[in-house]
Amino acid sequence: MTPKTTWTRSLRTTLAQAARDTAYLTVGTLTSALALAVWITGVTLTLSLVVFVVGLPIMIASAVAFRWTAELDRRNAAWLLGRPVHGVYRGGGHGLRARLRATLRDPQSARDLVWLVLHSMLGFTLGCIGVGMVVLVAGLVTLPAWYWSLPNGRVDFGLWHADSTAKAFLGVLLALPTAFVTVGVLRVCARAESWLAVRLLDGDDAGVSPSADSPTDAPPRRRRFDPEIAFSLHGAVTAFVAVLMAVIWVGVGLGYFWPAWVWLGIAAPLGIHVVIRRAARAPAVRGRAVRVHAEASALIVGYLTLVWAMSGGGTFWPFWAALGLSVPLGLHALVVYRDRLNPTREQELTERVDVLTRTRQGALDVQAAELRRIERDLHDGAQARLVSLSMLVGRAEEQLADRPEVAALVRRAREEAGAAIGELRDLARGIAPPVLTDRGLSAAVQALGVRAPMAVTVDVFDEGRPPPVVETAAYFVVAEALTNVAKHAGGAAARVVVTREASRLVVEVSDDGPGGADPAGSGLRGLVSRVEAIDGTLRVTSPAGGPTTIRAELPCGS
Amino acid sequence: MRVVIVEDNALLREGIVALLRERDIDVVAQAEDAPGLLRIVAGHKPDVAIVDVRLPPTFTDDGVRAAIEARERHPGLGVLILSQYVEPVYTQELLASGTGGVGYLLKERVGEVRAFVEAIERVASGGTALDREVVAELMRTRGAEAGDEGLGSLTPREREVLALMAEGRTNAAIARELVVTSGAVEKHVSSIFGKLDLPASNDDHRRVLAVLASLRAGG
Repeated sequence: MTPKTTWTRSLRTTLAQAARDTAYLTVGTLTSALALAVWITGVTLTLSLVVFVVGLPIMIASAVAFRWTAELDRRNAAWLLGRPVHGVYRGGGHGLRARLRATLRDPQSARDLVWLVLHSMLGFTLGCIGVGMVVLVAGLVTLPAWYWSLPNGRVDFGLWHADSTAKAFLGVLLALPTAFVTVGVLRVCARAESWLAVRLLDGDDAGVSPSADSPTDAPPRRRRFDPEIAFSLHGAVTAFVAVLMAVIWVGVGLGYFWPAWVWLGIAAPLGIHVVIRRAARAPAVRGRAVRVHAEASALIVGYLTLVWAMSGGGTFWPFWAALGLSVPLGLHALVVYRDRLNPTREQELTERVDVLTRTRQGALDVQAAELRRIERDLHDGAQARLVSLSMLVGRAEEQLADRPEVAALVRRAREEAGAAIGELRDLARGIAPPVLTDRGLSAAVQALGVRAPMAVTVDVFDEGRPPPVVETAAYFVVAEALTNVAKHAGGAAARVVVTREASRLVVEVSDDGPGGADPAGSGLRGLVSRVEAIDGTLRVTSPAGGPTTIRAELPCGS
Repeated sequence: MRVVIVEDNALLREGIVALLRERDIDVVAQAEDAPGLLRIVAGHKPDVAIVDVRLPPTFTDDGVRAAIEARERHPGLGVLILSQYVEPVYTQELLASGTGGVGYLLKERVGEVRAFVEAIERVASGGTALDREVVAELMRTRGAEAGDEGLGSLTPREREVLALMAEGRTNAAIARELVVTSGAVEKHVSSIFGKLDLPASNDDHRRVLAVLASLRAGG
């Protein structure tokens, strides 16, 4: 995939999300208006008529209306979140009184009412912000087409106004950054609104199971504090107040731009919130406290600089604050990082272990490569010469048919050469069998399976070759394990599975034999030292009665 | 008989050529790497190609792979692999590929001149020549768990005859090797075929395949 398509795709996703958010907020605005009407009517009528008998059916009717309204918004939230949002109500029973009692006692009814009240205010506000931003972007984009149609032929945005075609086109340019902000604002508003709906309307979220049938002992609700949602809410409220101030400023006839100070005021808690949030999310590593400290200091200095700039400049007094803050920060950093200046024993050891691990790995790789080189040299050098020798002696033997005593001597010489070749061959095979060197682990393990006297199923991953030292160790684990199965498992079938898990090669050989393998046996002990040499582990599980499993985990770098 | 040799070690290659010339076998072409094998086989239409396993370019199993390809391209081509190792995987791949004679010998067998030349002739005439180490390897793994059935039921003499059959020897050659009459060998052979429940066959090559299949299947 090219970067371009990724970019296009993420843009498309973002726009789709923004569209969903807009739709959600629009519907939310409508349901909030409905909610307002429903709860005011319901509560007022019920309260004023409860002394009369007619109050009861009205109460029930209100409860039903509450539920309908809540259900409407549940569907809206479910559509946005892409998961069901269930209202869980208790069963009603029969008859007016029973249903009324059930309705009144249902905790979800109370939550519905709380939600109605909150949503009628918040949903409307968030919806207006979201939709207003979208309308603003749309207005900016189409500015050249309509700005002249307004009275005075100008559109006033407070800080900036458009009264000519050139300025209108500038407005089109401004639409882009505004759109960016809009996408963010839409997300924040939609999340805040859906959070409220889920917390108050979703029975699953509230920990109420549909089967809860005790009317009095409502199960305790899980009151989780979700910092993400809290942050979104905080951001939404701040944005709302900020926009509200600007609107008021425009409404009262512009003049000195005092909303900036309000902005500054509400930005402070938001900034602190950002720092806290970053601190909570920071990975728990050394220096986290220093980082938070530095961020808080930077925030304060930045804030003071803003105040300085807004109050007309002059002497740069925030400098003193910066100086004052940098001293404790410096001390803090010094305390935390002092061991960098003067490493402790522990750290020296850690570094030493790192170095040793690395060099041992290097040594093992070198050793493996060296062994294979020796094997190759034997093949091309000594072995080839011995073969050649054997051939020459064989030819001499042919020509000595008439002198049997000498021929017998020569024949013995040839046999000696043959024995030497055989010994070199065994030596080379102990380093690594040719099929492993030639074709890799999968082929070599399959060959082992074919050659074993019992039935063996083999499943070896076949992508890329692990380092030679790991490959050889894995091969010999399988070879030794299969030899053990052949010797002790009485012809039981065996399975070999070699997989790559993250940075480890996992070799597992199991059989259906009688179990009871002795991990201290010489063959297994040899395997353990081979595996441990490359920092691997070997585990033998062999309960009496079987099955036996030998599992080796071999780290293989990459 | 037309023979080609593919071997990257010049000393060995020339030694084999000299040895075969003494025996009046004409080496019509030589090559040093796997692509060379395909080239000279196409150019000279030999009866037998003698091929080293480890060849350039990769010095792994290039010889085996090239030989299998050559057998597919030229049906009836006899291939005699020379190797410093017993590797049953390669033997089986060769036996399973194409038509024509197949041999797999350890390199030091070249010193047993008469047997080596016999092996070449057998491969040239469509027969089989497997190294006794290869056969021993097969018999060893299968023999490990042999009970009263199959291999376990053979007498030591019958096992010897079976091993020689698996190498691809004819009855006459087996008789010569064991210094018995060919009638005695025939008796052993029919006894072995009875015990292992193999289909009787007069064709030597097919006989070898049946014996090998039986060894691979666990006797």
